[in-house]
Amino acid sequence: MRLPVGAKVGVFAVAVMSGYAWFANSIPQIESKPPQELSLEGGNVTPAQLVKAGEEIYHTKGTCEICHRIGQKGTRAPDLAGVGARAAKTKPGMTARAYLLESLIQPQAFVVEGYPPIMPAVDKPPIALNRSEVWALIAFLESQGGTVEVTLNDVPATVGAAAGGGGTAAAAEVKLPGDAKSGEQVFQGKGGCIACHKAGKIGASPVGPDLSQISKIQTPDYIMKKILDPKGMGTVANFPPGVMPQTFGQTLTAKEYTDLVAFLLTLK
Amino acid sequence: MRTGRLVGRGACAATLLLAAGALLVSALPVEAQQAAREATYRTFPVLGSRLAVWAVAQLHLNFAAFILGVPIFAVIIEIIGWRTGDARYDWLSHEFVKLTFAAFSTTALLGALLLFLFVGYYPKFWTYMTSIFFPTYWVYALLFFAETFTVYLWYYGWDWLSGSRKWIHVGLGVLSNLFGTAILVVANSWVTFMMSPAGIDESGALKGGVWAAINNYTWMPINIHRLIANIVFGGTIAGAYAAFRFLAAKTDEERARYDWMGYVGNFVALSAFIVLPFAGYWLGREIYAFNQTMGITMMGGFMSWLWIIQAILIGILFLGSNYYLWLGMERIPGAERYRKYVPPMLIVLTIGFMVWATPRSMVVTLDEARAMGGTHHPLLGFFGVMSAKNTVVNLMILTTFLSYILYRRANRVSTRPWVKTGMAVQWAAFAVAALIVVFYGVYGYFVESIVRIGFSVYQVLAVLGAIAVVMAIDVPMFKGARSTGAIRWGTIAPRSQYVLILLAVTFTWLMGLMGFARSGIRQHWHVYGVLRDTSVDAVTPALGYAANVITIVTLVFFALVMFIFWIGGLGEKGKEGAAHAHPAPVLAGGSDRDA
Repeated sequence: MRLPVGAKVGVFAVAVMSGYAWFANSIPQIESKPPQELSLEGGNVTPAQLVKAGEEIYHTKGTCEICHRIGQKGTRAPDLAGVGARAAKTKPGMTARAYLLESLIQPQAFVVEGYPPIMPAVDKPPIALNRSEVWALIAFLESQGGTVEVTLNDVPATVGAAAGGGGTAAAAEVKLPGDAKSGEQVFQGKGGCIACHKAGKIGASPVGPDLSQISKIQTPDYIMKKILDPKGMGTVANFPPGVMPQTFGQTLTAKEYTDLVAFLLTLK
Repeated sequence: MRTGRLVGRGACAATLLLAAGALLVSALPVEAQQAAREATYRTFPVLGSRLAVWAVAQLHLNFAAFILGVPIFAVIIEIIGWRTGDARYDWLSHEFVKLTFAAFSTTALLGALLLFLFVGYYPKFWTYMTSIFFPTYWVYALLFFAETFTVYLWYYGWDWLSGSRKWIHVGLGVLSNLFGTAILVVANSWVTFMMSPAGIDESGALKGGVWAAINNYTWMPINIHRLIANIVFGGTIAGAYAAFRFLAAKTDEERARYDWMGYVGNFVALSAFIVLPFAGYWLGREIYAFNQTMGITMMGGFMSWLWIIQAILIGILFLGSNYYLWLGMERIPGAERYRKYVPPMLIVLTIGFMVWATPRSMVVTLDEARAMGGTHHPLLGFFGVMSAKNTVVNLMILTTFLSYILYRRANRVSTRPWVKTGMAVQWAAFAVAALIVVFYGVYGYFVESIVRIGFSVYQVLAVLGAIAVVMAIDVPMFKGARSTGAIRWGTIAPRSQYVLILLAVTFTWLMGLMGFARSGIRQHWHVYGVLRDTSVDAVTPALGYAANVITIVTLVFFALVMFIFWIGGLGEKGKEGAAHAHPAPVLAGGSDRDA
């Protein structure tokens, strides 16, 4: 039986495309996942923990490895082996941590000779590291041949302020119907948040993370979800898991909830 | 009379479509803002929103590329027919526009569907885009209006505007191309803004006029790249259509006609394809200029394997196009003289293909890495970098051009007294270009990336220079040449027609892959660095998943194309044997086997 031309051509086309699809499925499969936010503010982080967090950022969200290597000279960017020791001597009168901070957030201020000025500011989109993440990254870089001395106070509060990348849409999202003043009452009263959290001048307990700048380092979406489902949203590094109640969705009224969120969004 | 009724029906359909479009455009900001108050995202049933948008966008782009690409060469063919008085070209041009015409409304409907998906499932994103680009929506709608009516007049006025009024008809063809290109560049401004936003402040709001947002880093390179790619795409689809008709032909005349049409389709595709990589370099350069991180992520990050697949596809396109030309030479008396060049050309193309498809670094086990001394193979690793790839692609382009030159002169013997000098200069031009390409390819290993990228310009200029020199000599050298016999159209091996289909399928699939690359390098951003993708689909999928989607959508595209062409062909069925305004030409060689 002679196959119709349409059938022959169809089978041929399907075979060709199946071949391409098969090949694409047989090579390494790498997804690009959106980076997770890291918050270390208010926590008692040891230098070792900070370095470990920084190393993770170096390999993932920071995208540092696109240009930098450790122990291997590249044509795009300097080898970072020993940068912790080198950094203190690179610019006279500047400490290692100050130099590293400058190279991360104002990379064009000083470009190592022989390399093109291509480094982007890591606290701005699209890399958009937040303050905690910049802090951890500096610690990791200091650990490459130097001593970890950086503290959160070394990183200006403005760092990472433009990290949200929400553009106009994000700005629109922040305009919630809640009343911040009433939310502060909830924070101190019915919500009982001050039992564990600090928020500017109120609260002092170190049980949970300091929320004094929470709206700068977290998205409104995260804050809203974290109140309703603290377990599902994960526990901030170095704080005990399972402490935050799962019941705010039942105990707070809708108004109290939106007021509380509105209050938290004022904490910058 | 019949034409008049058709014009009336066509115009009525176009008016309805445009009225719906205008209503949609005017309602969009209101709809989008309303929707934005309600949700950031909605979920498309079963498939998910991203997959729905992906599939419809790819289909829309495929159809749009076809209807914008084909008229460009259709009008050129019409002009050739008009100036030479050769009716074959007029028939062919009409045949090409007929294909376009059948796909026109499908393109518009898919475009409208894409808009509905954005407004309904990505309302915040759409609101943001509207806040930047609203004035361009009106320009787009007006251009679409103008394009529709011009194409309708062009197609339905073929008989009416013939003879002494042919210049008006050709003018309509040129005008429809201008409108079509303008539509393309307006739509490109939206897409490229998402990749390389410009003209906005830190909050993402427009700083000044919309022009700054339109004229972003990647806008013009993508305009040029897409324009050329559309011609290639149109040529391959027209070639595949001709191949299908050739394989289904019942008579030698019909076979000869569609053999010729397939040849022209492939010629058009190949001519444009040769310059496409250059446009690609420019685009890549602008991406790096806009944002080094984006450029490096694209070439060396999670997408690096995508370029290996691209290399394989382009290698297949080069090999396929050349193979088709070599098979075509078998039906040309006198072409035997040039058979000896085929093996060396095949070797250059094959080696080029292999080098281009060599990955720089490989995912290996620890033991394999130890045995190899790293993730880069000690020898093959050298072929995985841009220097090697730029070099081989330029050599492949030169080789393909040589194939075409040999095909062009296959049945011709120059009678010019300076033919030996002319040939010597031509070979010298090939050799000098190849040497320049290889020199900068090797030199590129010893300089930093930013300098190396610049070398590709010299390589490209060397190849383009050689092409210009060779053609400048070839045209006068073979003018009035002695013929060794007419081309026996229709006697080409049937496997050549499968090559045409392979080229169309491969190029369509490649377009899907490049669409994924363009969109995927934004990663988890709707608008890079400005508007973050916070949906459940923010993950950029792996290549296997993308390939599966591309394959399914390409299959749907070809199924739709076949259906549309079948519908378009229904109109011809009742006309067989009747006097027709566009009689199919009888080509030399079409009846040779009967003679």
